[in-house]
Amino acid sequence: MMEEPEMQLVMTDEQVHEAIEKVAYAVYAEFFEGKTEAEYAPVALLGIQTSGIPLSRRIAKFIREKTGYDVPIGTLDISMYRDDIGVRKVLPPIRETNIPFDIEGGVVILTDAILQSGRTIRAALDAVTDFGRPAMIRLATMIDRGLREFPIRADYVGAHIEVPAEKRLTTRWTEYNQPDGVYAVPKVKQ
Amino acid sequence: MDFNWTKKDLLSLYDLSREEIVHILDTAEEFKKVSQRNVKKVPALRGKTVVNLFVEPSTRTRLSFELAEKRLSADVINVQADASSLRKGESLLDTVKNIRALQVDIVVMRHSAAGAPNFLSRELADCSIVNAGDGAHSHPTQALLDLFTMREKKGRIEGLNVAIIGDILHSRVARSNIWGLLKLGANVTISGPATLVPKEFEKIGVRVCRNLKDAVKDADVINLLRIQHERQRTEYFPGTGEYAKFYGINPDSMKYISPETLIMHPGPINRGVELDSAIADGPQSVILEQVTNGLAVRMAVLFLVAGALK
Repeated sequence: MMEEPEMQLVMTDEQVHEAIEKVAYAVYAEFFEGKTEAEYAPVALLGIQTSGIPLSRRIAKFIREKTGYDVPIGTLDISMYRDDIGVRKVLPPIRETNIPFDIEGGVVILTDAILQSGRTIRAALDAVTDFGRPAMIRLATMIDRGLREFPIRADYVGAHIEVPAEKRLTTRWTEYNQPDGVYAVPKVKQ
Repeated sequence: MDFNWTKKDLLSLYDLSREEIVHILDTAEEFKKVSQRNVKKVPALRGKTVVNLFVEPSTRTRLSFELAEKRLSADVINVQADASSLRKGESLLDTVKNIRALQVDIVVMRHSAAGAPNFLSRELADCSIVNAGDGAHSHPTQALLDLFTMREKKGRIEGLNVAIIGDILHSRVARSNIWGLLKLGANVTISGPATLVPKEFEKIGVRVCRNLKDAVKDADVINLLRIQHERQRTEYFPGTGEYAKFYGINPDSMKYISPETLIMHPGPINRGVELDSAIADGPQSVILEQVTNGLAVRMAVLFLVAGALK
């Protein structure tokens, strides 16, 4: 990823780890703590492209360390479900959707690093339900920065951060060869 | 790497960069999965109107486009030349004016005149134009689905030896394939009767072979073109029997074709002329996979041009 101008650090790697642990623990507490494998609900994590993917993997890692159980992980791209096709200046590239588990009747935990307007999640809900009918969909986010445009909220939140609306938040991950961190950058009109 | 698509039209692969072609193929991979799902539809073009303006007959391309549009949730209108005002002598410009008045978002056009979609593109600034074949000029989505199929089957395009056999002179499929393949780094050989495979094609960087065996013996892919009766106003070769003997792919020619070589054909096939029937249905043939991939590629193209800001 390219360095962007005027990047301002809003979460250090340590704060990122704390936030993820908080989210992961909440998922663990609801579905795994005090249960045997036979009692686990059919839970799966579905990372929204792109920053939801490292988050989903880290939640899965936390649960594996606690329980020895591998939660199935998938990836979801919402480009085909956007509400701004032909309105946005540039269309982001379509990335891979890969759901290697049966979502019919299961518990799908959507993960996205940053929750803001709620539009991505609105699109994700439409996308997921085109693949089947889960018994339950939950939302895990590392950061809730407010500025909601849709009546959507997360079930598991790592941190609440207030950043002026004219700034965009961007995440960095060791998975993509950069130290973990969250930065605020000036918004480019889309 | 991230790539941003900005073109409102798809007129010809000649106009596209290597990166743009690869971006369409990458996008099509995800659209291919949509047709494999239980719900074979996404809302990407919801609220958009697409007109399929087919001024020249077509069955499979029109069907493929229409299905692609429906799987993208667009509203679809089909206009066919034989049942429209075009038959009453309406000029293309007047047709265009009517389309503009109806606030259509995308026009998919097939026309017997080369350049007709380019004309439409200039006249309709706030509408996307997709060329579904214009005269002997260009058929970009056919070439894209051929490239997609080759890449899917062989894992790459760069360095592939691709032989295109048949009526190159009149073929928009051949021209579009040549442009796309050369941009993506394939080695292209063309072969067929001298009257249909002009030596001049060497100037754009393809090898011209008179002998079928030389053209196909090292080929990774053989793309056969249909002998187009409707475009041959004069005699270019003595007859289909003679064509089949010298340029048809049959059990005899298969003796010097590798078992790894893909056999492709844009359809419809003249069975027993350019391609033996058993080979068309045989294990090396990917002809029906081309049809499946055409749908994915057309969904990708429609999605991308719709997403470009007008």
